[in-house]
Amino acid sequence: MRGGERGPGSRAPRGTAEEREARLARALVAPALATILLVALFPLLWTVWESVHLHDLRMPWLGRPFVGAANYIEALGDPRFWGALAHTLLFTAATVTLELGLGCVLALAMNRAFRGRALVRAAVLVPWAIPTVVSALLWRFMFEGQSGIANTLLVQAGLVGEPPVWFIRTGLAWVPVVLADVWKTTPFVALLLLAGLQNIDASLYEAARIDGASPWRQFRHVTLPLLKPAILVALIFRTLDAFRVFDLIYVMTGGGPGTSTEPIALYTFNSLLQNLRFGYGSALSVIVFAITFALALGYIRFLGAGLTETRA
Amino acid sequence: MALGCGPAPSGGPAVVTLPVSVLGAEGQVLRRQLARFAELRPDIRVVQRPTPDAADQRHQLYVQWLNAGASDPDIVQLDAIWTPEFAAAGWILDLGRFRPATDSFFPATIAANRWRGRLYAMPWFVDVGMLYWRTDLMRAPPATFAELERSAARAMAAHDLRYGLVWQGARYEGLVTVFSEYLGGFGGRILDGGRVTVSSPAGLRALTTMREEIYRHGIVPPSALTWHEEESRFAFQNGETAFMRNWPYAYALMQDSAESRVAGRYAVTTMPAGPGGRPTAALGGAQLAINARSDQPEAAWSVVEYLTRPEQMLERARGVGQFPTRPALYDDPALARALAIPPAQARAIIEHAEPRPVTPVYTQLSEILQIDLHRALTRQQAPAAALAHAAREMQALLDRVGLGEGGAVAGR
Repeated sequence: MRGGERGPGSRAPRGTAEEREARLARALVAPALATILLVALFPLLWTVWESVHLHDLRMPWLGRPFVGAANYIEALGDPRFWGALAHTLLFTAATVTLELGLGCVLALAMNRAFRGRALVRAAVLVPWAIPTVVSALLWRFMFEGQSGIANTLLVQAGLVGEPPVWFIRTGLAWVPVVLADVWKTTPFVALLLLAGLQNIDASLYEAARIDGASPWRQFRHVTLPLLKPAILVALIFRTLDAFRVFDLIYVMTGGGPGTSTEPIALYTFNSLLQNLRFGYGSALSVIVFAITFALALGYIRFLGAGLTETRA
Repeated sequence: MALGCGPAPSGGPAVVTLPVSVLGAEGQVLRRQLARFAELRPDIRVVQRPTPDAADQRHQLYVQWLNAGASDPDIVQLDAIWTPEFAAAGWILDLGRFRPATDSFFPATIAANRWRGRLYAMPWFVDVGMLYWRTDLMRAPPATFAELERSAARAMAAHDLRYGLVWQGARYEGLVTVFSEYLGGFGGRILDGGRVTVSSPAGLRALTTMREEIYRHGIVPPSALTWHEEESRFAFQNGETAFMRNWPYAYALMQDSAESRVAGRYAVTTMPAGPGGRPTAALGGAQLAINARSDQPEAAWSVVEYLTRPEQMLERARGVGQFPTRPALYDDPALARALAIPPAQARAIIEHAEPRPVTPVYTQLSEILQIDLHRALTRQQAPAAALAHAAREMQALLDRVGLGEGGAVAGR
């Protein structure tokens, strides 16, 4: 506080008021800050503490000794961990790319004036409103067995001869999983981008048209730069969500066949709650936290410049 | 909650808490039994604690309670594979002091409840893996895996069936129970004391047989690799398959001709065997154990002893079709009236029951095995490589927690 740095003699009445105001502000903010500390920081620190201990609920005779980085070292030498990390990255890259592309197309379409636009906007949100577990089950049923809807359609269209069993093939099992996620979350991305589109001044397009810019150049040089903040928000939300994917895959494949669709969150869940290895599971959780945190920081750093520019 | 845990005030009844499934017919049977117990023993009051039916959730709840040192509940209902885990953790009482008459139970059900030579839980009812076969499609069930393949293929061709045989092939505990039956059928074992023996010629034959049933003989559908018990039952009761491996629960359900197309046209027997093995049935079921921190161990034992009496087992058989754990009951005509399955058939299968590896880390071992079995069955890995990998990981786990004896034996 600048007011506090001045000598006591030079303290002006205004400074005291400022100080008082600052004190009041601190007092008002304190409960919120304490709540954040309690619900965010405390569990995080607790997890970190667990992660440097051996804590196996199933084997109480091993005690609960401090083991330093042993849990982290085990994770780094665990092929299942690296597999899970690779699956998570693959899933994140595939779904976020598709969702952003499709979401952009949907948003541009919904931004045009046409009859029934309000209805379309509401209808687009339906997949987003369905609970993930329910939509995961729906998609599983569509792809399950040799006579699911997906296989029936593919065979009728003559695209495949012998209907595949999607969930027992390493590569194929990803198809329904990615489709389900894209189906469910594209509307969310579309709405975020639509909000961004509506903030763009129509006169900019007018000016561009007068200068003879083609629709593509309008999109490239007017829409895209001005949409950057909305894209950034969508990217952050979707990347972090996709990175922590759990329920969708838990319901659809359970991580199988083998462990070939197992994401890091599912492996963490298995270690923590199935095998009750609190130490190792916590180490995995801390690693996931570190990665998502770094991702968020990275986004803000590389794309955030645009964010502040457009706001200025 | 706290009211249930304290020691009984002198003169008042001792309070014993029992976590149970309170849903459906099973809850009703238990309520009747406890009401009769209350008349018999007015000095003991049994309080029921509703708990989830799903095994995973129940396990998690128990571990939380017992790990926290709670004296409530006094009695716990355990799955067949949990007893060693809870015993090794010191969470349940050694029942030796009550001198239970272990001779009057099936030996396999007692073996599953022993840890380091001591008995920790009483078998309440028994579940076994069995082979369902269609009596209208063949005269006798197959005794060997080779015969099973032949009659399945023949039935598929002659009766235009979609499948020959169905089992539970999804990556979960069920897959390990099916595999353990094939493995026993070829004379192999998953574990021998502290040594992992799954990567053996018998293990390889068992896994290869399962894989060839899918890809070479075409009798098991590839989609069975995503199936649990119910999907298999639907295939069998819709008349789509000649054989099914499943638990006893399916028997009574499929006799309902409104839902089932095969009512009255099937029977059960043991799973077949191959050269060097004997028919093997995976052992499941429920056990009753006593919390080591219980304030009322004597009263809790009275409840356990009462619930595992012959007449109570008969009532469970009548009410919910669960198999008694006492062989003598299988000669009782009352059991023939109570069970949908002829008791002689049931008994013949139970006598082939083998506990899954009796070890405190069974669930972790099983998870490793599930993954590698599923990799081999979905052709991501060759059976020999998958088994060797599983054996290595399982042995490393045993060694890490101090339960192992020497390295994994490969190719023995």
